[in-house]
Amino acid sequence: MKKQNIEDIFSSMENFSSVPPPELWANIEEKLDQPKKKKRAILWWSAAACLLLGLLLPSVLYFSSNTGIKTLENNTGGNNNVVIEENKKDNHDIKVISTEEKSIEKKSGIVEGTSAKTSKDKTANTNENQTKEVAIAHSDSKNKRNTDSSDIKLNSQNSATNQAVTQQTTASEKRSQFNSFSKNKNLNSEKTNTNQVVAQKTFTTGNHNQFNSFSKNQNAFNSAEKNQFSETEKRNADKILAEKTFTTGKQQNHFNSPSKNQMSNSIFENQMNSNTNSIASNSSDSNLGKKQVTITDNKKEVAATTTIKTEKTVADSAPKSNSKFSNVLSKQDSVQLAELQNLEKGIIPEVKKGKEKDPKTKSTAEKWALEVFAGIANSENYKNDKTLGNVNDSKQSSTYGVKTKYKINKKWAVGSGFKINELGQSVANVSYIKTANNAFLTTGDYLVQNSTVPQIASSDSYVLVSNTTKNALSSNNVQSGSLDQSLRYVEMPLEVSYAIFSKNKASISLNTGGFVGKLISNSVAIDGNSLGENLNANDFVYGSTLSSTVQYRVYKKTNVFVEPAMNYYINPLNSQSFNQFQWGLNFGLNVSF
Amino acid sequence: MKDDLEKYIRQCMQNDRAGQLKIYQLFSPVLYGICLKYMKNEDDAKDVFQEAFVIVFQKISQYKFEGSFEGWLKRIFINKLIETLNKKKKESFFLDVFDPDTDFTEEEELDNIPIEQEKLLEYIRDLPDQYRTVFNLYVFEKMKHKDIAELLKISEGTSKSNLNRAKRILQKRILSIKNFKIA
Repeated sequence: MKKQNIEDIFSSMENFSSVPPPELWANIEEKLDQPKKKKRAILWWSAAACLLLGLLLPSVLYFSSNTGIKTLENNTGGNNNVVIEENKKDNHDIKVISTEEKSIEKKSGIVEGTSAKTSKDKTANTNENQTKEVAIAHSDSKNKRNTDSSDIKLNSQNSATNQAVTQQTTASEKRSQFNSFSKNKNLNSEKTNTNQVVAQKTFTTGNHNQFNSFSKNQNAFNSAEKNQFSETEKRNADKILAEKTFTTGKQQNHFNSPSKNQMSNSIFENQMNSNTNSIASNSSDSNLGKKQVTITDNKKEVAATTTIKTEKTVADSAPKSNSKFSNVLSKQDSVQLAELQNLEKGIIPEVKKGKEKDPKTKSTAEKWALEVFAGIANSENYKNDKTLGNVNDSKQSSTYGVKTKYKINKKWAVGSGFKINELGQSVANVSYIKTANNAFLTTGDYLVQNSTVPQIASSDSYVLVSNTTKNALSSNNVQSGSLDQSLRYVEMPLEVSYAIFSKNKASISLNTGGFVGKLISNSVAIDGNSLGENLNANDFVYGSTLSSTVQYRVYKKTNVFVEPAMNYYINPLNSQSFNQFQWGLNFGLNVSF
Repeated sequence: MKDDLEKYIRQCMQNDRAGQLKIYQLFSPVLYGICLKYMKNEDDAKDVFQEAFVIVFQKISQYKFEGSFEGWLKRIFINKLIETLNKKKKESFFLDVFDPDTDFTEEEELDNIPIEQEKLLEYIRDLPDQYRTVFNLYVFEKMKHKDIAELLKISEGTSKSNLNRAKRILQKRILSIKNFKIA
């Protein structure tokens, strides 16, 4: 007798199959309808919430900081409404520099230098160390009105935003309702179709008597309109699906204990697919006796049951792999297995078992991703902020860093890392005086360092002069140049990502979050000449970020990506306007592991 | 036939119930068979079968038409089965201790005695959960110990040991039949 080991003995179980009880499909169908909707709704809501949060956060921060800057402008007197009086105590020669800017028609108040005390009170933020006194007159009422109007504007903007949000919400609700309605509608139609399909694909098995009874059912189905299944018909269809019998000599399915005489139409269905519209299998096996297994396509043979085209012995199609056990296995099992295995072979000839990696294992294996990136960033001024009377221009800088991402699931991920980023601004036509060329001036004693112009740089070599002052000074020493300011940070972002698209090798995700930055470099330069550091820069900066990553897999676990991003910095400087928005475009490499 | 299958899969991707039914009809016997092999009792097998099929239909859009669809289905089912078995465990699911001397003794060859599939299934299902899982993965899914260890989060040695012990238990059962038949 041939010897064999355990694996050989059990090899026949490799393709073991058993027809599941019919009620399982109904349960699956039921489950398919219920939780998916909820899950989808949750996903959509969370995505919408995330997006809304990402959009609202910078807006809120923008508006709140906008109000703050207005106040600051009022406090510092602004550059539009300034009258400067220089009071030189040393020689008691009072030199009045009275300047009115272009916007003088705005009826700015003028306060003479003699009322320095009053002006001091009015300009609360005046540097106490200053020996020179400059009176700044604000048109209080005007300013107040301006502030008020700005507040109103702000409020109106906010309310507009809120309104928009409300409208969006309403719209999305409506859409959801509509969707759910349409979905239900679809579902209903799907259900109808399913019933139809179930009914249409009903087969009759068993002996001739059963066939006759089937004909009855068939007529009942055919009398109904295809798309108009009544509940009764639906029930009939389901019942018929469940009641299909596979009549054999034994009439027993060993592996299907709860419904041993029942068999889903899957086998017959597949047979139908692989052969013709109707198949009649006459078993030549003695155990089956004269009983026939007749499979008839309900749909195609309504009027005349003329087409029993193929006669096939079931024994012929018995699988070779089971041949050694054929003598002991029940014939009915053989029939079943033969059909099942033919089915498998017919449909998927190239089944490679265990060769492909588990998708779950694969996804768990790629939970982490490491990114290196570099890019360009452009700091923008969207609020028409001014420095020394000139509008802040955008400034381009470079950025680079590393980031790691952790995939929570297929859609969501969190990420953090380190990034070197630079926030900057450039101010054109800034007037300045070189203190080295002017015997009368030192940084500490000139008007620039009074309340009208915030002290920006730490250097003593240059004195920055505001627009208004420049007009007052008809000095040859006043020069104009471009003032460049850069604040370089090492930032640590914390982001949440949501994958909105993922197909084949490409994916797109939305990222939002916040960051904290530590100032590592701070420079001010005019026409390329360093003025030292910006005195108002905060050591730590906070902000929010919104970006979108477009990623493409180039090799195994390596991806390249492009990431347009928008950053908002809350507090780069203490008391000076500075570009707070930044657009960026990063390019990088991402390795999953 | 392959075109038909692709058509059904695409229908499933559109959440078309008719397509889902087709896929169910085509693959349910094989997949139910797998569930019966992995789970100790039939009720558990039915539960996992239903849950796994729901997952299949929910995630079918992730199928990229690369490789065998049946293989893809099987992987989902096996993952679900292992997940269920892991949830059920109350103590250490896999035996982490193995003794190379006893665990890797030569496997005795048996006479070629015909055994019904029904019986073989019974023997498999009577194995302790941990042995049965490793046995199924190794013998039927043709997985290597390294992959089994990774999937079950056990050591390779534990996987080998579990397989060996499963084989020995099965061997004893088969020998007992043989002796019974001879007697």
